[in-house]
Amino acid sequence: MATALTYSEEELVLLLKQQSQDAFNYLYKNYAGVLYGVIRKVVTDEQTAQDVLQDVFVKVWNNIGQYSTEKGRIYTWMINIARNAAIDKLRSKGEIMKSKIQTGEDAVYNVQKGMKTEQATDTIGLKEAVAALKPEHQTIVSLAYFKGFTMDEIARTLEIPLGTVKTRMRAAMQSLREYYNSN
Amino acid sequence: MNIKEYIESGILEAYVLGALTEGERAAVEADMVMYPELVQEVAAIEAAMQSFAEANAEEPPAHMQQQIWNAIQQQAAPQSVPEPQSAKEEAKPQPKVVEFVPPAAPARPSWQRAAVWAAVAVSVLTNFMLLSQRNKTKEEIAQMTSQMDSLKASQQQVLAEYKKGRDMLVDTSMKTVVMRSMQPGKEMTGMMFWSKTTGESYLTIHAMPMPEKGKQYQLWVIQDGKPVSMGMIDNNLVANAGMMYKIPMQVKGGQAFAISLEKEGGNPTPTEVMAVGAI
Repeated sequence: MATALTYSEEELVLLLKQQSQDAFNYLYKNYAGVLYGVIRKVVTDEQTAQDVLQDVFVKVWNNIGQYSTEKGRIYTWMINIARNAAIDKLRSKGEIMKSKIQTGEDAVYNVQKGMKTEQATDTIGLKEAVAALKPEHQTIVSLAYFKGFTMDEIARTLEIPLGTVKTRMRAAMQSLREYYNSN
Repeated sequence: MNIKEYIESGILEAYVLGALTEGERAAVEADMVMYPELVQEVAAIEAAMQSFAEANAEEPPAHMQQQIWNAIQQQAAPQSVPEPQSAKEEAKPQPKVVEFVPPAAPARPSWQRAAVWAAVAVSVLTNFMLLSQRNKTKEEIAQMTSQMDSLKASQQQVLAEYKKGRDMLVDTSMKTVVMRSMQPGKEMTGMMFWSKTTGESYLTIHAMPMPEKGKQYQLWVIQDGKPVSMGMIDNNLVANAGMMYKIPMQVKGGQAFAISLEKEGGNPTPTEVMAVGAI
């Protein structure tokens, strides 16, 4: 099932610049799952998520000429394209307000639930890393990374000081880093 | 800049998580240019988010692969492959050359040649212009970077200044003396910060009118009923209300501070007292 070939980041970039169907197939096989996973965290509707996934691949395909390894990892670059496209879609659909209120409530709900049981946080859909992140950390990562909230918006939604948002972000990412370094 | 504090503040996490405003983002990116430690830290945070994304991967429906490839093929047809910038710049003038070579050929070769040369000249000229434009942009970037450096330096200076003021205020032996207006109807105040132990003192002026030409404010300390001059107050200080000025003279004791209006250069005794504050 697994593809026999794997490429380094540099090789992948070169391959993509050739714009062949083989290059596309390789890209799709190796990255579609991750990108789709990111998109689905942002827009829950499956059909919309699929539309976004298509836009993202087209975008990556068209912009690979402008990408250079100096700009950071191509993986991060693609994930960010996916995340931004999904968040744009969320906003353009006018769903952002609704989603903001919902996630705000969800967040509070999850925090409360999280106090009772550690497993409760799975409702945001973070299957793994549950062990790594405290509920209030998950909420903040999720609001920022998947819903496109600024720190200010997070502070207002959760009714916590801006400084707390920042320290929680730091703490959240520290525990994620630890978790992935030891696993 | 304290890199450790900067990293621990959580701003880089906010950057990677996409929670910064445009302005904040740009500031972080500018800092990254100057401090490689920040780049390293950002890469580490990004790597964690990448693992996080991988852990949450979700396979899209099987038909998507073909559907997306078709979409790519369709939109690629009229647009053709995106090429690196420089190739695109060269390509622009070329269609002119092609247009001037119809099959009518052998009739007017010199005319054709002239057209080709003209097109080539346009192409070379365009490239030249683009190149010089690019150089100009580079210069502008360099200029902005140096501007940013000097901004940073002046910011550091302000910070140091501020820290000095803070340390001073925290000093418990430091006494604050507010000098109030002695002129009815005029809101004039000055403030003295005076340390009895070290004899050091600082002055700030608030809402004092600029003295008319040929006149200047003079600072006094009243010792045993007698005014002793502490020096002339620079008009700069009057103009910049709130600025703190260190008095060169050491003061070991006294009952009051006062400010008077005198002729430029000062008088041995005060003539027109403007504000007084008892110690």
